[in-house]
Amino acid sequence: MRKGMIFVVVCMAMGLISTPSAWSKTKPIKIGINAPITGDIPKVGEGTKFAAQMWLEDVMADGGLTIGGKKYPVELVIEDNEAKAESAVKVATKMITEDEILVMVGPQASKQAVPAGEVANNYKTPMISPWSTNPDTTKERPYVFRACFLDPFQGPVIANFIKEEFNFKKAAVLYDVASDYPKGLAEFFKKAWEDLNGPGSVVAFESFTTKDTDFSSQLTKIKQSGAEFIFTPQYYNEVALIVQQAHELGFKAPIVGSDSWGSAETVKLCGKDCYGLFFSTHYAAAGAKGETKKFIDRYKEKHGYVPDDVAALTWDAMRLVETALVNCGKITGKIEKDRQCLRDALAKVKDFNGITGKMTFTEEGDPIKCAVVVRISEKGEFEFYKSVCP
Amino acid sequence: MVFFFQNMINALQWGSFYALIALGYSMVYSILMLFNFAHGDIFMVGAYIGFGVSTGILALTAGGAIALPNWLILVLTILFSMVLTSFVGMLVERIGYRPLRDAPRASAAITGLMIGIILETGNLALLGARRVSFPSLIQTATYNFGGVYVTNKKIMIVVVSLVLMLALDQFIRRTKWGMAIRAMAFDYLAVPLMGVSINTIARMTFAIGSALAAVAGILFGTAYPVLDPYMGVLFGWKAFVAAILGGRGSIMGACLAGFLLGFIEIFVAMIFPSTLRDLIAYSIIMLILTFRPHGFFGEPYSARLRL
Amino acid sequence: MEKKKFKMKRTNASQAPVPVRRKGLMRRWFSGIPLLGWFSGILVAVLLEHFLGDALTEVLGLPKIPVLFGFVTMLKKPALMPGSLVFIVLVYLIPVAVTARLGASAANAVAARLIRRSVGLSAGIHLLLLYACLHIWADVSAYRVLTLKLTLIAVMLTLSLNVINGYMGEFSCSHPGFMAVGAYVCSVFTVGLFVNDRIFGQALLPPFLAPYFFPVALILGGSAAAAAALFVAIPSFRTRGDYLAIISLAFMFIVKSVIENLEIIGGPRGLGSQPDLAGLPAVFVWTVLCVWIINNFVRSTLGKALNAVRDDELAAEAMTVNTRRTKMTAFLFAAFWAGVAGGLFAHVLRYVNPGTFGIQRLAEVLAMVYFGGLNSVYGSILGAVGLNLLGEALRPLELFKWILIPLLLILVMIFRPKGLIAFKEFDPKRVLMPRFRSE
Repeated sequence: MRKGMIFVVVCMAMGLISTPSAWSKTKPIKIGINAPITGDIPKVGEGTKFAAQMWLEDVMADGGLTIGGKKYPVELVIEDNEAKAESAVKVATKMITEDEILVMVGPQASKQAVPAGEVANNYKTPMISPWSTNPDTTKERPYVFRACFLDPFQGPVIANFIKEEFNFKKAAVLYDVASDYPKGLAEFFKKAWEDLNGPGSVVAFESFTTKDTDFSSQLTKIKQSGAEFIFTPQYYNEVALIVQQAHELGFKAPIVGSDSWGSAETVKLCGKDCYGLFFSTHYAAAGAKGETKKFIDRYKEKHGYVPDDVAALTWDAMRLVETALVNCGKITGKIEKDRQCLRDALAKVKDFNGITGKMTFTEEGDPIKCAVVVRISEKGEFEFYKSVCP
Repeated sequence: MVFFFQNMINALQWGSFYALIALGYSMVYSILMLFNFAHGDIFMVGAYIGFGVSTGILALTAGGAIALPNWLILVLTILFSMVLTSFVGMLVERIGYRPLRDAPRASAAITGLMIGIILETGNLALLGARRVSFPSLIQTATYNFGGVYVTNKKIMIVVVSLVLMLALDQFIRRTKWGMAIRAMAFDYLAVPLMGVSINTIARMTFAIGSALAAVAGILFGTAYPVLDPYMGVLFGWKAFVAAILGGRGSIMGACLAGFLLGFIEIFVAMIFPSTLRDLIAYSIIMLILTFRPHGFFGEPYSARLRL
Repeated sequence: MEKKKFKMKRTNASQAPVPVRRKGLMRRWFSGIPLLGWFSGILVAVLLEHFLGDALTEVLGLPKIPVLFGFVTMLKKPALMPGSLVFIVLVYLIPVAVTARLGASAANAVAARLIRRSVGLSAGIHLLLLYACLHIWADVSAYRVLTLKLTLIAVMLTLSLNVINGYMGEFSCSHPGFMAVGAYVCSVFTVGLFVNDRIFGQALLPPFLAPYFFPVALILGGSAAAAAALFVAIPSFRTRGDYLAIISLAFMFIVKSVIENLEIIGGPRGLGSQPDLAGLPAVFVWTVLCVWIINNFVRSTLGKALNAVRDDELAAEAMTVNTRRTKMTAFLFAAFWAGVAGGLFAHVLRYVNPGTFGIQRLAEVLAMVYFGGLNSVYGSILGAVGLNLLGEALRPLELFKWILIPLLLILVMIFRPKGLIAFKEFDPKRVLMPRFRSE
């Protein structure tokens, strides 16, 4: 008991000593990063974290954000949501109520972004999901925004592009049925293609399940169906396998992809098999100019690889936050008021010049932005091919 | 017909992996009556070790230190990785299973699960979240037999796994060690009294199982050259299904069930809409077990063996 | 030989009264305090925190009240460690200890009188007190509320899985599947009736009726899960052990695949916008109901029949235990509660997605059951609460959390292979009894 008492007294003394430091400074602006650092998609979490940290470095190099003529230090609250829905909700609640963040960036995947968006909206805290394409994420939620375009836009873009470029009639689609994004895009593409070429023009609509690595059965079926090309809105790791296996099965026609191909890893994993293929995306790394190139070069230098679309979109989300904060004009220190101000400023953002394209938010908080069609060159670089705007 | 044969070939390759991994499961399972839930992750570790070894040798060759043809590199990679992975397997046995030999079997299953998580996370912490691409040691050559496309890799995978299975079968049946393993599977209480150490046998089983998993990992890397830390999870569970479907402790059964699982998955996707693949494939497995409650080659339930 | 010795030790520890040994100072100091005393101590502590917490944090230089006993704060910002420790000591440890000790005789008197009146009354008052503690504790922050709700749901899940894996001794892997069925059926019911939804159209009933129909929805969800459990229960008549394990695993895969293919309930996109019905009181009441009913079930003749089936099916059959009925009941019963837990889970998150009910969740639930202890209600509660809080507390460690927690579990399995508190009966009467000092 005696020892215990001494311990308590010592602790109290130390607590009192460490106190004053917490009072003096200006309260920093806190930005929450809700990212899947562990779990199924650690790579996405890593890209998010790195991009956000790069942004922070920039800001802190200036000595903080200048808002209304006053400099404010910025602090990132990075939390791991383990790629689980309930964890994302817990993290969002914790950030908003405990850490008192001003705005949350993330979660990335729709599986986590939809329920976390609910929390953010309930607490009237602005949230930007850089990567979630599910319409439900922002639907009827004035406080939730996203930085990427939606499937209903991208599907027709690809369908039109192929029609114009190759004048094909018969399409095949291969997608992951258990994953939100590929499934949504596959369906919108199918609809767009059938609008263009009449019903029945999608001759094979094949699927697999997340984490599958063998697609030979589906590809054999596709080959049998006589399709002139395959559209596969998959992530880079699956793209490499799909393309290689298709070639091994003697399928020589083009394979077309979506923005999820837009990672340096695609070419690294896929190799020569992917050369000459097309996909639609937010930005083209090889032909990049200006800000986009600067971002890519810096990221590459720092982390050793060309950033994915997640990193680029996260960067844009951070810059959006920055723009909105500056537009907001002043930070009162009253968290509710600042959040409201930030949300209004975000909704008013016009022609924001992001590295993934110009953005203006709609009523729902979805950006209107252009898509880019990219060709993988013979050197394995992403070449700008065409730009499609809504 | 062409369509059918093409899928036949696809299924053979896919089944080989299930069979090889299920073998490792089945070995441990027949002797120690344990679910080795870490086995899928040992497969992952094997693939990564194979990746490390082959990149290492390739770097040496590129540096001009030694000159080796690619097929030799592959053979060396397989051998080295088998040895290294079997050490991992023995370590897992020592840490996770030996202290629990008298505990309820399910507890050991939990340690297996947990060791699996540690292996995955450890990999993530060491190598980062990047997926790695397995170096392509064999130039892919595609042969066309009247519309059926076969690659040299596919042939190699099927042949190597069949050879390994036969070798294991012979080892179990013909050698003294094999006899000890069979005896242990029959009665693990009496055999130690005959002077066969259960620790040695357990270690050996884990080593063999892990070595097979390493081969499976390398072959997997050759066929599907994208490795990620979580690649073993689903594989592990499915191989677990195959191992038990084959029947308790039956090596033959595990092989057959592995191939069967591969065939079911491929052919269901071929015949039915592929969205329904898992649904139909697992319903078939449930049906099989409802009518053959002890797997293909398993002995009926006896009072001796239970949780 | 080893095995036998080991068994002897276990039975000794679990059945015989605490062996006579010299008690430590702490033990002597705190013996003789009834549950009522502890609860009132905790109540005092949480009240203190509620009213004085903010002032105290200001004095100590903490940004906020340490939300989970200071773990998160300490791991994130080591500089705040002393402050958080002082806070914990001042607000929790000292008040609880002092109130419990000083109020012990009064609490004993009250407890004795209550239990003489009726066990039900005593249990009710204890539960009210417990709820008051939890409510006031959670009131401080929304994060606590959420963590608490999910922890309580985890308790239900763990306990219901324990019925199959612990009491009946099968290795069932289908719990995420049951949970998914419950979650979806329950959500479809509430969303269809009370929400203007894109999928199910206009609300059929006015939203103010929703809370009254919520229990119906949950029971419906649970019943659907129980009906689905027939797919596992019927094969279990002929199949045991490992073969049943893969039947149940296959069942889990099938449920996930079915939901992914049902476009009408959202497919892989998931089902959202459930009405906000699962408040803390609702979750608490259902958890208490679950614990109470499951505890009564496992202590009943049927429950004992489960143990008999586990230990020796043939002998049980010979002793006139209807093994088929027993297995069937156990599966349906456990699935029912898993379904209810799933329904609550869906309404706490207000979004469900088939990907949530996969292998990851299976590993989690299994870990909680075996960590806490087989065949014991205490164990399940401890396992669920322990692993959930640990998971939250270690979140700042990111990756290393997933090395630390498995390591801890391995150690538990090695040193206590049946879990922390295994094979211990939960007798409400004994728990609520007054305690007198043993010296």
